[in-house]
Amino acid sequence: MNPKAAVVVYPGTNCDRDTYYALELAGFTPEYVDWHGDVKGYDLVVLPGGFSYGDYLRAGAVAAREPVSKSVRAYAEKGGLVLGICNGFQVLMEMGLLPGGLLENTSGTFICKWVDLEITDTDNPFLSRFKQGEKIKLPIAHAFGRYVKVGDPKVALRYVEDVNGSDEKIAGILSEDKNIFGLMPHPERAMEKLLGWDYGKNVFLSILDWIRGGNRVV
Amino acid sequence: MSFKYYDELKKRLGREPTPVEIEAFIVMWSEHCGYSHTKKYIKMLPKAENAIQGNAGVLPIDDKWAVAFKIESHNHPSAVEPYNGAATGVGGIIRDILAMGARPHASLDSLHMGDVTEGIIRGISDYGNSIGVPTVGGELRISEFYKHNPLVNAMAVGIVERDKVIPSKASYPGQVIVLFGGATGRDGIHGASFASEDLEGEKATKLSIQVGDPFMEKQLIEAFLKMKEEGLIEGAQDLGAGGVLSATSELASAGDLGAVVYLDRVPLREPDMEPWEILISESQERMAVLTSPEKAERIMEIARYYLLETAVLGEIIQEPVYRAMYKDEVVMEVPVSVITNPPLEDVYPYTPGEIPEFKHIPFKEVEPSNVYFQYDYMVGTDTVLPPGFGPAIMRIKGSEYGYSVVTHSRGDLGYQDAYWGTYIATLEAVRKTFAVGGEPLGITDCINYGDPDEDPEGLSAMMHGLKDACEFAGVPVVSGNASLYNTTGGKPIPPTMVIGLVGRVKLAEVVKPHEGDVYAIGWDRFSPAYERILWDVIRKLHSCGCFIMAPSHMNSLEGYKNSLAEYGYALNVTDLPDVNPVHSTVLAVCENNYCIDEISKTIPVHRVGAVVKV
Repeated sequence: MNPKAAVVVYPGTNCDRDTYYALELAGFTPEYVDWHGDVKGYDLVVLPGGFSYGDYLRAGAVAAREPVSKSVRAYAEKGGLVLGICNGFQVLMEMGLLPGGLLENTSGTFICKWVDLEITDTDNPFLSRFKQGEKIKLPIAHAFGRYVKVGDPKVALRYVEDVNGSDEKIAGILSEDKNIFGLMPHPERAMEKLLGWDYGKNVFLSILDWIRGGNRVV
Repeated sequence: MSFKYYDELKKRLGREPTPVEIEAFIVMWSEHCGYSHTKKYIKMLPKAENAIQGNAGVLPIDDKWAVAFKIESHNHPSAVEPYNGAATGVGGIIRDILAMGARPHASLDSLHMGDVTEGIIRGISDYGNSIGVPTVGGELRISEFYKHNPLVNAMAVGIVERDKVIPSKASYPGQVIVLFGGATGRDGIHGASFASEDLEGEKATKLSIQVGDPFMEKQLIEAFLKMKEEGLIEGAQDLGAGGVLSATSELASAGDLGAVVYLDRVPLREPDMEPWEILISESQERMAVLTSPEKAERIMEIARYYLLETAVLGEIIQEPVYRAMYKDEVVMEVPVSVITNPPLEDVYPYTPGEIPEFKHIPFKEVEPSNVYFQYDYMVGTDTVLPPGFGPAIMRIKGSEYGYSVVTHSRGDLGYQDAYWGTYIATLEAVRKTFAVGGEPLGITDCINYGDPDEDPEGLSAMMHGLKDACEFAGVPVVSGNASLYNTTGGKPIPPTMVIGLVGRVKLAEVVKPHEGDVYAIGWDRFSPAYERILWDVIRKLHSCGCFIMAPSHMNSLEGYKNSLAEYGYALNVTDLPDVNPVHSTVLAVCENNYCIDEISKTIPVHRVGAVVKV
């Protein structure tokens, strides 16, 4: 049986269908869980990209306070796997599940393009299919992606060149226990060569390997 | 307030119009809503036999899927308030597509301005990115011609199952009209009539400008598609120009029926609004759907789930009248047909001359990637060929076919000859479509023009140019929009016809950028006969695996260079042919010269450089 993945949908989330499609391609059985819902019982929880609550107030700020976010917190605290992409990363940060902050790009504009990235941590459930130091390409699409460091985060992904002014070119970080991964690039957009490059697939396949390896926590 | 067709209205009603009726008919008989100057020309254009008409043109792509597409102008609002003018232009066209039952799938923008106006770019970027519809292309043309009258034309493409297209008409008396979306305020009152006059006219104030809320739009899209999925919607019309009045009267009129609307039921943002203001407010992010009385409650439940305002606005009646009520009082009652049949201006005679010796009027060079990198062009994970190569290519998940889509115009030529400027722009759009492997399916046109009362011939020339070019290419026009009175202090913009062209693409045959020798293929002059030969050559080269670029201007290929760099390639070309301002030439990147040898018997070919890996 395919592992079950929850795709959390807030009002304004807009990468939910893309994420659902990518999870299916990778071999998960995805289900949407809306902002009133509960993520208990899933093998993986994904917070997709978009503009939850229109990014009004502050990106991710309103979503972080919804009932489903409380259940995500409970899930994560038990060691469940949580992947936050773009706006999902912003939500995780607003919830305090990942350290640091995400501010406006130094360009002051939204940036959408393929960028080069370096894998800096493979000893985790999300990136085990990559090699340490491997260079990959993924798309970014954000206006508020400049990562600002607090303390000493576990960096898993760095931009090869500075694209948005992030501290130490940080593009993605893991929680202390490595069960939560937040990143600004969009792996779900990089699943098929038809659309460019397919490096994103290995993110989802790494998670699948980890779950199939009997590492299920929740 | 002056009203050009006052006497005509009085005649049709058989009495003096009331103050409310005057407000209403200024909107409904404006060029923006009524197409009084262009409707007779539009009737001349070649139609598609298999098209489904409505808010947008719908054409089949394969056995299951159809594409719905339309272009629309938001020029006047963008001149006064660039940010909201441009943002709501995107929002409006998305709802047109949505009303057909299609999921918005791609959007494009054709922009003309005097200098890069950040507010316009930002308005499109903030709105488009938020609603999750990729902005996959467009054009950015910078010239003094458009300094006072920028052109903001937005195009949207949606995909819909062929058997689930939603009609834009009422079908039986007793059908109820449910309104949902954002609350109604005073924004955009007389927006349509403002868009139909000189920019220094009496309605050119910021009060005429609609204000956009992309979050609300995203909720509206999802709510509407959910209602459609549950089979609740029997007819739909978005609320754009002319607001409640336009949407509901058009639904009734298209079904040869009447309607009653209760204005006191409309959820308001400003509680002290007058009934006539509610009737014609152009507040954004609102939709009207027709359904049976039993299904109305479920529709409203879905709207509320998506955090939208909703109400049963009225119902369809047998009697062909339009009746607007406010707290048991009749605010307005007129025959529906009077509202939806505005007076029409006659076609102005036009006979085209020879193709003139066009002068090269250079527009300012701008690097388009600076703009499209601000747009999310990948959300939806269907963008196969990204912006920067002319048409974008989109796939449809689950189909072996996708589509190409491009917006294109030649204001520089239109300034010199409105007929040939339009004609050549149309044929160039066809050329660009063939270049990416598309088979042209249909056109949506946006007429951007000055004052048709002052100069009726130019408008006629444009429309004849479009008609003749479409007939030559065998491509039908399935939808369109007109923006007239693009004048400031009486001075017009060049006649600027923007062509939105959708082609069908077999996904297995898509050619991506690659290495190879670059050849300039074709003639340094434009002629329809050359063009015909060139199209055949393009198709042949495409089937040989050549990657083909079809720029209108060869003097700068910066845009192509930057787009190729994204793929890790450099475009090294020298000796580009001097083919400005018009030509019948393309650039083909071919990995081997087998096909080139073959075509060189029928068309001039010169090697001009190479695409190499960086």
